[in-house]
Amino acid sequence: MRLLPILTLIFLGTLSAFAQNNTIAAGEKLSYSASYNMSGLLTELAQVTMETSEVKTSKSTLLKLKCTAATYSKWDSFFKIRDLYESYVSPKTLTPFLYNRDISEGGYEKFMKYKFNHKTRTVASLKRKKRSDGTTWEENTSVKIGASTRDLVTTLYHIRNLDIHKASIGDTQNFTVLFDNKETVVKVKYLSKETINTALGKKECYKLGISLSNSNVLKGNSDNLLWLTADENKVPVYAKFKISVGNGELKIKSATGLKH
Amino acid sequence: MKKLFIILGFITSILALVLAVTPLSKVAYIPSVAALICGVFALYTSKDKQHAKKSIQLIFLMTIIALALTTYKAVFTKAELGDIKQLEQKEEQLEEESIEELENLDIDEIDTQ
Repeated sequence: MRLLPILTLIFLGTLSAFAQNNTIAAGEKLSYSASYNMSGLLTELAQVTMETSEVKTSKSTLLKLKCTAATYSKWDSFFKIRDLYESYVSPKTLTPFLYNRDISEGGYEKFMKYKFNHKTRTVASLKRKKRSDGTTWEENTSVKIGASTRDLVTTLYHIRNLDIHKASIGDTQNFTVLFDNKETVVKVKYLSKETINTALGKKECYKLGISLSNSNVLKGNSDNLLWLTADENKVPVYAKFKISVGNGELKIKSATGLKH
Repeated sequence: MKKLFIILGFITSILALVLAVTPLSKVAYIPSVAALICGVFALYTSKDKQHAKKSIQLIFLMTIIALALTTYKAVFTKAELGDIKQLEQKEEQLEEESIEELENLDIDEIDTQ
């Protein structure tokens, strides 16, 4: 009888790992403005976009999830950021197959590629970094992952695909994210339902608290918040992150191509 | 007391001036207000002495320049996206590479697992 709870857990785990995608469609484009807020003085820093598109290979059709961040021109001479995160996933289940991360942050450049093999539960990881003299070096590693481990971009979209309307306030769920060749557990807590003003109008939203276990970044439950619209699209409209002085904000500017 | 306010006024007004030049100019309002308060206090505590007036005037001058610059920037500069051509090129190149890598993948097999 002791085996029963374990078996149920495994069963539920696989269910959540291969849940159907009812929220995200190809051709969706969300655009955000990231800003720094210090006691009410808002300074706009960068534009963040989240796009989805369809990608065809000879055998199959995949969904490409892409997130980019680019600083506004006034910041470019101080600290130029041009980040690209993308993930190629199954359109039905949002299972990731390939993940690329190409970042350029104030002269620091790094490229990461994960190729997921779900049969052997391994990830072939490639890291390419730029040395200070301009030359690059590469590192190939193989990382063992759990059954429901995803990359960062897919996790973000997967949170949108959760059945939050079935959850009750206070519920938490853990997600395993592969970042920098390490598995990190992200804890998402459903805090409350709130109506907030956004660029898309007044929206009723699910308020989620995000925290990372065993990490110094994103500590605590109430400091890092994410608001998803309480409709079928579950568009992330607002996010707030605590920084040592002041806080960072991510506000939606426009949303096009939504499924519902 | 007067000296303390003058020193504090100088520090905050210089900070305001430096911040006003950077893109983080809106934050310069905080030290500007502090500099103005310090300046006013310094002015009240040194009513009779003539020679201290010069430094207080300098504090006010720097703060006013900082405030003017910050307000001008807040009103007239809009957040515009810089040059992202390189990023777009990188995207296209990465997509081509990725499609090649994914060519042998059969997702139906994995989805129905």
